[in-house]
Amino acid sequence: MKLDSAEVAIIGAGVSGLSSAYFLANAGVNVVVLEKGLIGGEASARNGGSMSPRADEPFAIPMATRARETWKTLDQELGYPTEFIHEGRLQVAMWEEEMDLVRAMAMNAPKFGVEAHAVDPEEMRSLVPELTDKALGGMYFPNAGHSNPQRAVQAYAWACQDRGGRIYQDTAVLRIDVVGGRVKGVQTNRGPVSADVVVSAAGPQSGLVGDMVGLHVPVAPGRVEIIATVPLEPRFTTYIAGNGLYGRQTLRGNLVFGGGPHEWVDVEVNREPPKPNTPLVRNISRRLAELFPSLEDTRVLRSWAGVVEQTPDSIPIIDKVSDPEGFVVVCVSGNGFGLSPATGLAVKELIVDGECAVDISAFKFDRFRHVPRDWRKTWSWEAGAYNT
Amino acid sequence: MPAIHVAVVGAGPAGVAAAVAAAEAGARVTLIDEHPIDSSMMGLDIPYVFGQRMTPTVRDEGLMLQRVIDANPGIGRAQNAGVDVLPGVYVWGSFRERENSRHIPRPVLGLGNDRETWMLGYDRLVLSTGARDLSLSFPGRDLVGVVGARGMGALIEKYRAFSGTRVVILGSGEPAMVTAKTALESGVELAAIVEQGREVRSRGPLAEELRQRSVAFYTGQRVIEARGQREVEALVIASETETLEIACDTVCLAIGVVPSVELTYLTGCELRFDADAGGYVPVVDYNFQTSVEGVFAAGDACGIVEEAIAERQGARAGRGAAGGLDGADNLIGDSAENDAQSEVEYWESWRSAMTNGDAGDVTVCLCEEVSRADLESVSPPRYLGWPSRQMGNRTLATLFHEAPVNLDRLKRLTRAGMGYCQGRRCREEVALISADASGVDVSEVPLGTFRTPIRPLPLRSMWDGEETEETRANWPKWFRKPAIKLDSLGRDG
Repeated sequence: MKLDSAEVAIIGAGVSGLSSAYFLANAGVNVVVLEKGLIGGEASARNGGSMSPRADEPFAIPMATRARETWKTLDQELGYPTEFIHEGRLQVAMWEEEMDLVRAMAMNAPKFGVEAHAVDPEEMRSLVPELTDKALGGMYFPNAGHSNPQRAVQAYAWACQDRGGRIYQDTAVLRIDVVGGRVKGVQTNRGPVSADVVVSAAGPQSGLVGDMVGLHVPVAPGRVEIIATVPLEPRFTTYIAGNGLYGRQTLRGNLVFGGGPHEWVDVEVNREPPKPNTPLVRNISRRLAELFPSLEDTRVLRSWAGVVEQTPDSIPIIDKVSDPEGFVVVCVSGNGFGLSPATGLAVKELIVDGECAVDISAFKFDRFRHVPRDWRKTWSWEAGAYNT
Repeated sequence: MPAIHVAVVGAGPAGVAAAVAAAEAGARVTLIDEHPIDSSMMGLDIPYVFGQRMTPTVRDEGLMLQRVIDANPGIGRAQNAGVDVLPGVYVWGSFRERENSRHIPRPVLGLGNDRETWMLGYDRLVLSTGARDLSLSFPGRDLVGVVGARGMGALIEKYRAFSGTRVVILGSGEPAMVTAKTALESGVELAAIVEQGREVRSRGPLAEELRQRSVAFYTGQRVIEARGQREVEALVIASETETLEIACDTVCLAIGVVPSVELTYLTGCELRFDADAGGYVPVVDYNFQTSVEGVFAAGDACGIVEEAIAERQGARAGRGAAGGLDGADNLIGDSAENDAQSEVEYWESWRSAMTNGDAGDVTVCLCEEVSRADLESVSPPRYLGWPSRQMGNRTLATLFHEAPVNLDRLKRLTRAGMGYCQGRRCREEVALISADASGVDVSEVPLGTFRTPIRPLPLRSMWDGEETEETRANWPKWFRKPAIKLDSLGRDG
């Protein structure tokens, strides 16, 4: 029995797929989302929650700028809270080598049109009073922020449904139908869905979905870890990267910080990958206590892990390919959460208008067309390899 | 050949028996027990519901250590058998090579206290982690003086530091009777034993003994509320005919206990739902070996059993861990109750008896202040103060109509279970509420995840003082840019 039919079928109810679904539904497009597990069941809803332009990636700036502008009013637009806080990002340098990086960023930022200020230890502590006095200096990016990943992902999903989009959870895509070089729909474990356009927003499963249409989408999934403390009184609002960690104080008050070595893993198209934590939670705890010495008595409440995909150059893929026709690849390579509003707009525009209103030429799929099948092995990025 | 190293977690009847049996079979044995619990951990209701009913003496660590050892003759027995006993040590994590963590060279437990943590390797593991208190919501549960049977029992027997003087016990199964007797014999006044059912649940001799000692039993009751300013001053109950206010300073929840499966879960053992056992328990064979080879579970952690049975289970698990797999008969005893109602059905009856009319405003998650109504409407947490018109269309029922019931997702949306007690005081009730809303049986509600560390230790204690130079030098904040250029993969030009 047929599950549904739509103009656009999106594979994956992570943040990129749901943002795309929302903007498409909002533009009046008949859209369905197919998710093997749950809405935001993976890294989209359990990441560090950062939204930040980076001064070392000029090609990403148009997208990052658009994402930030959209984030500012996203709660109102969607009708549900995402806990977005637009209070900047502080990049803390703890060692001389990091100071060199900070200086390089300070040089580059204006060139790339990214607003950034070099800050001395005193300025840093006015932003984050708990910061260690061992911090040498840093960069402050005022046009950055953070939000609650689970809430944001759910907000996209609900807003999409409010506009007529359908989201099928517990529904794994097993095949993609291609007839005469054009996609016609997908086969799921709950029946077929016909569609004129199929969007692969499958994150770590992007390679497996690409295989369904004979496209080699080179991604390597990696498992990364994060910890959360008990809630504290409000201490700081800026996003922080430093001492090998990234993270934030949530609106509720918990410190949520991650970082450190990753393990490369394999994933399957119809099953949630196990994501065990490891003794690394102790190293993350140590680094967090080093970063905020006065908070060392704070209790660690939980930890979790997420599986994040990386492309060979760590740069996203957002592209409508020509073979097969009607197939869109969205694979944001670990940048998905912050970029999500811009990703969704880009996908909507690629499908509805034929081209994206901002420059996404750096995200073309074509750059990977010669990547050999065994690239993960060559790079020691195959499953089981640790921190390579 | 060096002796097999067996780690045993929990020095209750099953754990001590396992440790002694393994040692007698020639194994090198480490027995880890978290008592005495740090007083600040007690304040967080970990691992039991202590309800702030401890005297200030619990801050005297040396004294508490002495009392805990005095109260548990098994510790001495284990030491005499050559077991290395570690009292006052939490096991907060369990790590082994498994899918997607291939780089763990050998199985280890995360051990520690409020000052430091360390790792303990082992060859075989026995998880005799006991059980914890079931907590269900009712108006006034957040007052100081609402305790659990295990919490009160531990404060009286292990710590001799119970500050309550006049107690009302909720529940009348065998564990409630044992708790009542413990209280009476320690000189605590027993104001009443309250049961929602028509009859006292326990069929054992203790109930009769308590009656003869003039303990008041009230059956066929509903709980209206616990009253008091900051602390419990009275409990109000009602039958079909009358309402009664019973003066007391402590209300003891003795409705049920839940097998502690946090470590079993983190170790990767398969778990199954057993309504008679009080929820999820590990799948074990006749040797009490779990689905993970070399990992055993015994005692209340497998489903609540009498002490003598727990000891026999433990002894067999200990022998099995030391290498002698000899179990030929089923030692998984029937539950001590001989009531037709399962444990979980009994909880359900109590939950109905605590639902005082439309008590949607009763707090289910005490840490994060999530009410039953908040849960049922999947409301964003109150700190957001978000007036969402659209949220009116979203309920627990619609959430679980669209996708399989998932407690973790509900937790992240409502924050129920996200607080400092790590969900110990609301986990079961949230599962029961979710089952109601989704129309599935609670046995169909998948277990919510447990997260490392299962005891919330301070950052300074979790601190890894042994971080190697290599780890430090190769520490990425995020994925590194590949050292090999894309060109090397055949990119054009």
